[in-house]
Amino acid sequence: MIPLSLYIHIPWCVRKCPYCDFNSHQAPEALPEKAYIEALLKDFEADIKLANGRPISTIFIGGGTPSLFTAESIDQLLQGINKISPLADDTEITLEANPGTFEQQRFTDFRKAGINRLSIGIQSFNSSHLKALGRIHDGDEALVAADIARQAGFDNFNLDLMFGLPEQSTEDALSDLQQAIDCNPTHLSWYQLTLEPNTLFHNQPPKKLPDHEALWDMQQAGQQLLSAEQYQQYEVSAYSRTGKQCQHNRNYWEFGDYIGIGAGAHGKITNAQGTITRTTKFRQPKQYLDQAEKNLFYSSTTDLNVNDLPFEFMLNALRLKTGVNSDFYEQRTGQPLSSIQATLDDAQRSNLIHLDGQNISCTEQGWRFLDNTLTLFL
Amino acid sequence: MAQANQNIRNFSIIAHIDHGKSTLSDRFIQHCEGLSEREMSAQVLDSMDLERERGITIKAQSVSLDYKARNGETYRLNFIDTPGHVDFSYEVSRSLSACEGALLVVDASQGVEAQSVANCYTAINLDLEVVPVLNKIDLPAADPDRVCQEIEDIIGIDALDAVHCSAKTGIGIEDILEELVKRIPPPQGEVDAPLKALIIDSWFDNYLGVVSLVRVMQGRVAKKQKIRAMHTSMDFQVDRVGIFTPKMKDRDYLEAGEVGFIIAGIKEIDAAKVGDTFTDASNPAQTALEGFQEVQPRVFAGIFPVSSDDYEGLRDALSKLNLNDASLSYEPETSQALGFGFRCGFLGMLHMEIVQERLEREYDLDLITTAPTVIYEVEQTDGEVIRMHNPSQMPPINKISEIREPIIKANILVPQDYLGNVITLCIEKRGVQTNMQYMGTQVNLSYEMPLSEVVLDFFDRLKSVSRGYASFDYELSHFSAAKLVRVDILINGDRVDALAVIVHADFAQARGRDLAERMKEIIPRQMFDVAIQASIGTNIIARTNVRALRKNVIAKCYGGDVSRKRKLLDKQKKGKKRMKQVGNVEIPQEAFLAVLRVDDK
Repeated sequence: MIPLSLYIHIPWCVRKCPYCDFNSHQAPEALPEKAYIEALLKDFEADIKLANGRPISTIFIGGGTPSLFTAESIDQLLQGINKISPLADDTEITLEANPGTFEQQRFTDFRKAGINRLSIGIQSFNSSHLKALGRIHDGDEALVAADIARQAGFDNFNLDLMFGLPEQSTEDALSDLQQAIDCNPTHLSWYQLTLEPNTLFHNQPPKKLPDHEALWDMQQAGQQLLSAEQYQQYEVSAYSRTGKQCQHNRNYWEFGDYIGIGAGAHGKITNAQGTITRTTKFRQPKQYLDQAEKNLFYSSTTDLNVNDLPFEFMLNALRLKTGVNSDFYEQRTGQPLSSIQATLDDAQRSNLIHLDGQNISCTEQGWRFLDNTLTLFL
Repeated sequence: MAQANQNIRNFSIIAHIDHGKSTLSDRFIQHCEGLSEREMSAQVLDSMDLERERGITIKAQSVSLDYKARNGETYRLNFIDTPGHVDFSYEVSRSLSACEGALLVVDASQGVEAQSVANCYTAINLDLEVVPVLNKIDLPAADPDRVCQEIEDIIGIDALDAVHCSAKTGIGIEDILEELVKRIPPPQGEVDAPLKALIIDSWFDNYLGVVSLVRVMQGRVAKKQKIRAMHTSMDFQVDRVGIFTPKMKDRDYLEAGEVGFIIAGIKEIDAAKVGDTFTDASNPAQTALEGFQEVQPRVFAGIFPVSSDDYEGLRDALSKLNLNDASLSYEPETSQALGFGFRCGFLGMLHMEIVQERLEREYDLDLITTAPTVIYEVEQTDGEVIRMHNPSQMPPINKISEIREPIIKANILVPQDYLGNVITLCIEKRGVQTNMQYMGTQVNLSYEMPLSEVVLDFFDRLKSVSRGYASFDYELSHFSAAKLVRVDILINGDRVDALAVIVHADFAQARGRDLAERMKEIIPRQMFDVAIQASIGTNIIARTNVRALRKNVIAKCYGGDVSRKRKLLDKQKKGKKRMKQVGNVEIPQEAFLAVLRVDDK
């Protein structure tokens, strides 16, 4: 059985950041929390029917800034989901939160509502870098957020951190990492700033971005520090303490299924016949709410073409440092591994992919040049 | 014996590009009502789109007009248009020799340019009456006195009573026509003599086959007559004869003094070459008209399709172009780097550019053109002499006893202010000065220069060092021994044949370094270090490298990112497809052209 996760999108932020390409919108004075929770539950009820009775193995409430919602709303949401599809006690349930929205009570209540993992969007502890990124918080607030999280009972939390920021030096990047490590999170997402299409940064790139060589130095130095501090890298940008990998994200990378509910949320569901459908929900919050009244949610559903499966599988699976079990390929694409044998051979000859018994993974070279490796499957 | 019609005037126009030849000829047609207003699409004589866009006449054309002169008589004016570029000097000389006179049209503000001077000398040598005309007289910058003086100084003809006109506004058009009638002599030649018709131009028409534009020098050519092309000794039966008004208008015959077309069931333009003589097959003339030359390509370049699927398409396109352009030669060429393509020969750089553009535009082909090279004579140690038009044909150094390169005689006309710059440039291009003459405010420079130096970027450089004021004309002179070597470019140790250049030994070191640096700028960083070397034989003269990327990986990819990331990688892949793979190195197309721009930093 292909595991099934649930992604829930909360599309509002206090302010849109110039590098962000997620579906986020500046929050109105009064958030339509009640209506949105109702819509989410209806959305979920419709989608879960496609999953053939599979249980939900992980939940990720992302955004936007889900921590803008009250604990009461989140409680309502999780209870509603549990009613429709009962959750196991140890289900990983993550909530994204941004510093600047942290209050002790609210986070204590989130924990009570059943949230057992937090992902905090720190990005940097350096106030001038934070300003350049358009974040609403400063370095002190970032530290406070981590403190509050722990006090609220979250011993399992992730910090999101970026490097390659305008005018950032390797020392700056290491200092950010060190401060993050000092907060003792179980997980660190440390990723390079990317100028994504359809963002302000893409149209007006910030000045003084570190060059390719500087970025490489930063990455090398950072990885060394992380490793020394017992954070093991398991994905291109993800590092964790032993046993604390993010189960939800891992499911994406292992080409598992996921239901995506909320404005602009994406889902991937395999039906009983083995056809994989990608779903997208209405993107604009208002439109999403309006259409939900009529029980309409999809802005598009696309059945994946068999020819696209090798690439889509590898795009995810090869991000994992140790790769995946080759059985996953057959189980999750429904295609025999032999159908991509020629490409795999080619990739092996070029020293990009390593096949070891049941395991497919990138070589060190193939992983460093993952885009080149993936192009082989296009 | 009957003389040619004495009311005929055959003439050409000698003018620099942009000095208004096309507009002027349109005015003549309008004035003589050759076409109605409605038919008069601007500049009818330049019939190819490309010609119109570039303002250059590539193929000669003609028009016959009836002009009622002020003396009451009606004259038949045959205007023979000439190609307007240095690459086509032979064609120009054939057009001129079909005429008794020429209008020298000079821009009243810009003055005389080298190309007009060269063509004028040709006209004078052919005993043509040259009638000077100052065009663009309406422009504020017009300075007729200075330009008249220049014409007298440089060309040496009387320009005091040059007609002032503006082809654009129509001022002076009738005055020009009057001058023409008065000053240009009527044609000579007897109507009853054996036929001699000069082929001014031939082109291929999909419906009619080969159409030849001719000037009948003596005798008469009629429908159904059997004619012979004297240099190819091939006989044909005339299907149609007629004149251009400028529309094709059939006639029963053309006789001495007249200009018109002949269609004679000829399938290939090679059978009716420019400059050849048509005669009567049953009553042939003793001798052909003088001045015939086989046109030889002087500049060669490889043309390769970007996608190997287009190879057949390229071959078809070249054969079609060749139907209309005998001076274009092509033969299959295989490059290790670029695959299958063709080695093409051209008259010069402009000719090459035109062919390239037509292939891409009219036949929708994506092409890579390698740097142009000239033809070299290589004398081997065994005494054999080979003609080398591709650097890859060069024999090993120990088998070469001598390499000879083509030398041109260049005439450059430059205002005194830029004389120093131009001389410096000519020296840099290995030029040897043979003459320098002050002509008023201009200086006429004569140089002997290797053609290979000229085909690279001489023309552009000349324009830039003289702010556009210097003009240039050349003719091929002779072959001369030179210390020439082939500089190879090696990418990761593999010699890339399409990047090799032949250069003078004295410059080889610098050129090799420069080329290697240029490659370094063009070749993108990739997964591996890319070593770039320049070598002469086994001797490495320059090396540099493109450092490997450290990584190439998308930083984040979660559940909602899949389709966007896919698009991104699809785009990357397409970008790579446009590059040429040499070994495991991807080389962008610009690299193959970079050889061209070696000097202009």
